Amino acid sequence: MSSRRPLLGWLLIAPSLIGVTCFLILPVVLAFVVSLFRWDLLGTRSFLGLENYASLLRDGALVNSLLVTGVFTLISVPVSLAIGLVLATQLVRALPGSAIVRVIVVIPWVCAPLALGVVWKWIFQPSVGALNQILGVRIEWLTDPSLALPAVAFVAIWQNVGYISLFFQAGLSRIPGSIYEAARIDGANVGQQLWFMTIPLLRPTTFFLAVTQVVASFQVFDMVFALTGGGPQHRTEVIASLIYHEAFEASRLGRASAVAVILFVLLVVITVIQQRWFSRRITYDMS
Amino acid sequence: MTAQDPSPAGGHGTRPADERSAPADGGGSGGRDHRRTARPSGRRRPLTGSLLARRVLGHAATYLVLIVAAALTLGPFLFSVMTALTSTTQFAQEGPLSVPAPPVLDNVIALFSSEDGFVTPVAVTVQMVAVILAGQMVFSVLAAYAFAQLRFPGRDLLFWVYIATLMVPQVVVVVPLYLMLSEMGLRNTFWALVLPFVLGSPYAIFLLRENFRGMPSELMDAMRIDGAGTLRLLWHLVVPLNRPIIVTLVLITVVTHWNSFMWPMVITSGPEWRVITVATSALQSQYNNNWTLVMAGTTLAMLPLVILMIVFQKQITRSVGDATLR
Repeated sequence: MSSRRPLLGWLLIAPSLIGVTCFLILPVVLAFVVSLFRWDLLGTRSFLGLENYASLLRDGALVNSLLVTGVFTLISVPVSLAIGLVLATQLVRALPGSAIVRVIVVIPWVCAPLALGVVWKWIFQPSVGALNQILGVRIEWLTDPSLALPAVAFVAIWQNVGYISLFFQAGLSRIPGSIYEAARIDGANVGQQLWFMTIPLLRPTTFFLAVTQVVASFQVFDMVFALTGGGPQHRTEVIASLIYHEAFEASRLGRASAVAVILFVLLVVITVIQQRWFSRRITYDMS
Repeated sequence: MTAQDPSPAGGHGTRPADERSAPADGGGSGGRDHRRTARPSGRRRPLTGSLLARRVLGHAATYLVLIVAAALTLGPFLFSVMTALTSTTQFAQEGPLSVPAPPVLDNVIALFSSEDGFVTPVAVTVQMVAVILAGQMVFSVLAAYAFAQLRFPGRDLLFWVYIATLMVPQVVVVVPLYLMLSEMGLRNTFWALVLPFVLGSPYAIFLLRENFRGMPSELMDAMRIDGAGTLRLLWHLVVPLNRPIIVTLVLITVVTHWNSFMWPMVITSGPEWRVITVATSALQSQYNNNWTLVMAGTTLAMLPLVILMIVFQKQITRSVGDATLR
C-alpha cells in the first residue's frame, strides 16, 4: 500500500524534476523560441517570425533532408527487420554453437556508432579499403552520389540486425510449439508456416520494432557524421546532420532550431500513432 | 509474482518473465521435418534415410546462416584489430588485408604517448560515465520509489509529464542546451558533459517504478515499524530486491554514455575535455591516411564495451525483454 507522505514524495522527486524541467522541457520550449530568431553562435539575435521555416522550404535543404532520412528509413528498417527475423528463426532452433553466434551478432549494437562509422569508412576506402581489395574493384562507395546513402544504410543495418533478432527470438519463444505441430499435421509446409503463422503471431514484436527503429532512424547522426559527414552533395544529409551543420558550422542557430522543431513534431506524430495502434493491438498479445 | 521478477510487469499483470528463456523447441518454423503429408504416428518412428537426410540438410542450412552472420559481424572488427596491430611500413607495403607479421603495439603506444593522444580522453570518458551513472541511479531510484510507493499531490500528473519527455530526442534539444550551458559559462567544462544527464533519467524512472510497484508492502511496513528511515529502506530492501532491473539499467546507462558523441562534441572544444568518441573522430580527420593509428583508436574505443557485453551477455539479452514490455 502506498503511504501518504507529501513532503517526502516531493523531496525524493526534486532532483529528477529539476533535471527533467531544465534539460528536457525547457530546451524544447527554447527550441520553439530560437526558431523564430536569426541567432548566431556569438549570441547576436533578431526576431524573424516564421522566416527561418520559409527559407528552409525555399532553398530545399529541409525537403532534401526529409527525403534523405525517409529513404534511409525505408531501406534500413524493413531490411534489418527481415534479416533479423530470418536470423532469429535460425537462432531459436538452439543447435549446438548457436549460443556463441547469439552473442556475436549483438556486439555491434554495444559499440559506438561513431567508432563503427570510422571503421566502415576505412573498409569503404576506394584504394586502401578492405572491401574493394576483396572484391577486386575500385568503387567510390562513399563519394559516389548514388551509392553513398545505400552504403550508409547498409552499415546501419549491419549494426542493428543482431539486436533486432534478440526481440524476434524473444517473440518466437513465446509461440507455443504445439501449433506448429498442428500445422504440420494439417500439411502446412515451412513457407506456409512462416507466412500464415509465425509472421502474424509475431505482429506485436514486429510492430514494436518497426516503430522504435523508425523513430531511431529519424535521429541517426553519429554514423553518418563518421562515414560521409552528410556529403556528397548533401546526399546523406539526414535531419540531424542538417541541424548540426546549420547550428555549429553555418552559425545559424535559428534555422537549426526550426529543423529541430519540425523533427520533434514529426516524432510526436509517429509516437501518437504508435500509441493508438498499440492500444488496439494489445489484445493480440498471446500469453 | 515475486519482487525479484526481472520483468517490469508487476503492475500490469502481463506475462511472466520466464517466457524469454522458454525452450525454443518448435518455435523456429525452421526447416525441420517438413513433410507435406504427415502421419500422426510419424513423429515417433525411427528416422528413415530420406528423413535423416532432410534433417541434416536443415541443420546445414541453419549453420550456413549462422556462420555467415557471425563472419559478417566479426569481419570489420577483425580488420580493425589486425590493422591496429600492423606496423605502418607493413601496411604501406602490403595493404589492408595483410596479416600483422609480427603483430606490433607501435600504434597503441603512439596513441598513448603523443601529446593529443588517448590518455586524457579515456580518463575524461571514465569520469563522465561514472558521474552520470552514479547520479542517474541514485536520483532515478529516489524518484521511482516516490512514484511507486508514496502518495502526494500532483504525483500522477508529474509522472505523465515524465513519460511525455521520453519523446524528446537528444538532437532536438542540442541547440538550446548548448545556448543554456554557454550562458551559464559552462562551455568546455566537465560539468557541461554531465549536468544534463546526472539528475536522473525518465526512462530509468519509468522502468524502476514498474518494478517497485510490485514489491511486497509487508516487508517495507515491518522495516518502517522497526524505525528505518527512507534511505535505509531503499538501500537495504528496495535496491537488493530489484537488483536485476538495476543491473540492466546500469548496463544501458554505461553503453549510452560511453558511446555518446554529439553532445560532447558540440559542448567541448580542444583536447582538455575530449571524450573517447570525439578523440576517435578527431584522430580520423587529423591523420586521414594513417589508418593503422586510426584503427588502434577505434579498437580502443570499442574494446571496453565489447568485453562488458561478453561478460554481461545474460543481462543484456534480458534487457530486451524489459524494453519490449514497456
